[in-house]
Amino acid sequence: MEFLTILYLTYTFISFYFLMIYVLTYTQNKSQLNETFKTDKTRSLSIIIPCFNAEKNIGKTIQAHLDSDYEGLKKIIVVDDCSTDNSAEVIKEYTKKYKQVMYVKTPKNTGNAAGSKNYGSKFVKTKLIGFSDDDSIPNKNATSKMVGFFNDENVGAVTSRVLVTGKQNFLTKSQAIEYKIIAFTRKLLGFLESIYVTNGPLSIYRKKAFDEVGGFDPENMTEDIEITWHFVSKGWKVHMAIPAIVKTYPPTKIKAWFHQRIRWNVGGLQTVAKYRKQFLNTGMLGLFIMPFFMFSWFLGITGLFFLAYRFTNYIIMKYLVAKYSVAANVALVTMDNFTLNPSILFFFGMLLFALGLIYTITALAYSKESGRLIGHKARDIFIYSVFYLLMYPPLLIVSFYKYMRGYNTW
Amino acid sequence: MLKSKKHVFWEALLITVVIFLAGLFLGMLIEANNSTKISDLYTQSEISLTDASAAARLTEELELDCEAIRKANIDLADRVYEEAKLLELYEDSGKLTNSMELLHKKYDLLRTLLWSSNQKSLERCENYNLLVYLYQYGSEETEVKATQNVWSKILLEVRKENENILLLPIAANQNLTSLDLLVEEHQIQRLPALVINNNQVLYNIENPEVVRNFLG
Repeated sequence: MEFLTILYLTYTFISFYFLMIYVLTYTQNKSQLNETFKTDKTRSLSIIIPCFNAEKNIGKTIQAHLDSDYEGLKKIIVVDDCSTDNSAEVIKEYTKKYKQVMYVKTPKNTGNAAGSKNYGSKFVKTKLIGFSDDDSIPNKNATSKMVGFFNDENVGAVTSRVLVTGKQNFLTKSQAIEYKIIAFTRKLLGFLESIYVTNGPLSIYRKKAFDEVGGFDPENMTEDIEITWHFVSKGWKVHMAIPAIVKTYPPTKIKAWFHQRIRWNVGGLQTVAKYRKQFLNTGMLGLFIMPFFMFSWFLGITGLFFLAYRFTNYIIMKYLVAKYSVAANVALVTMDNFTLNPSILFFFGMLLFALGLIYTITALAYSKESGRLIGHKARDIFIYSVFYLLMYPPLLIVSFYKYMRGYNTW
Repeated sequence: MLKSKKHVFWEALLITVVIFLAGLFLGMLIEANNSTKISDLYTQSEISLTDASAAARLTEELELDCEAIRKANIDLADRVYEEAKLLELYEDSGKLTNSMELLHKKYDLLRTLLWSSNQKSLERCENYNLLVYLYQYGSEETEVKATQNVWSKILLEVRKENENILLLPIAANQNLTSLDLLVEEHQIQRLPALVINNNQVLYNIENPEVVRNFLG
């Protein structure tokens, strides 16, 4: 068997396996996906909002938290990371009106979200500590849908479902689809105790667990991934509340999107490097989360090389044949070019693509916001499935390169 | 509270293995079926070759009509050509077993025998043209593959416009002793090469006209 055939079969097998894990988890837990729990006692909660130059949205974020229906929400601590715009004035307006809102300012700009989040945590005296980005708008019931999970004393963190809002273009539409699929997948991973990130827009931690892991790692570019791995490594359970919805504004331009994704991926690599000793060790972190993370990279990068190699060869071959055929004055295309006798690899690929598409549609149908079955146009799903996802493998390579070069710009 | 469902990992692995093994088994079954089809065709062609060779011998010994041998050889070569096209198609889709490679080699041997059995007939009768196209089998070089692709098209075009051509495409790098002897006899230096009527060897074919000029 040729090397490329073996590589292709390996690639397909791993992809199939992961997809099958999701399919089985979904079919076995369908009825519990939306499950939330009524809190057995009112747990006090403080929400920390790190803020840097967010005068446009910070007011909306604070207001959304003030509108929360959770009675235990004691404090909304807005940490100004030495903003240079009008953010401080906007926040102070709220502190004057609402005693729940507290304004604190870091002594100097920390340069990342982890720094200001850790700074804000010093002012927390409640049992639960939540974090929200300065441009995230949680639904009124988001917090109350999350806190019930803390009835289980082993739960250290609960995360929400992030959906996108704001300007609509091809990039944000693709991200809207992507965020829904991510949320759906993350919920499924929750049943396997394998949630690997508690998102920045809205996550709540047990203060005891947060203190035990020493807060966020300011050296890591994705502090929300790192802290989640830290929780799991310490034996804390992490859950996701699907009905807890928080809206966020995704990047609307390719450059900003690219920059954000590079940061996410470099942060992911930093986290893998930090916890490398746990790889294949006991516990879900070493046995599933890390291999899953690394296989995702492997699949993305080998898939790209595979595709690029085949495509380049195909193009060069077609070009040379056309060039020589024109020179020889013979037909460019003959009937022999249209024979169809696909190999078993083709059928494997088609099956994988079809299953992937069914998974995408199931995730979208499940996450529908409007009354429509899927909530997205077929054209947008096509753009997402073909073009948007294809942007990812090159991004992984750039991220890896930047990680090796010590990239750490927020 | 929510219970962990870690058994899913094993269930998913089991299902994936079953699907994969079923897929591979199916693939091998299809390839084996293709191989059987080609083998059956090969047997038929082998019979025809033996028949053509016997006819050629009789022609020489009894000085029979050259037309009969021309027709038998060309018909056989055309049939082998069509079968080879089918073989190539199956070969492209065969990824799991190497049965097609062996069949390809058998066909090359068959065509070598046809080439060799035509040496004397061609000399004596001179009523048809023999084009032996020697190419590289399994080359990974894009340049070589593209060149061979265009040569095939040129030769097919020439063959289609002239009924008196016996066209034999043979993979010359198959380690066949008889073929190697013929290649040595014609002093072939590189591939692809075209041997015309056993006396002219071309290494460059710019267009069909180049080949037409050498035909009788």
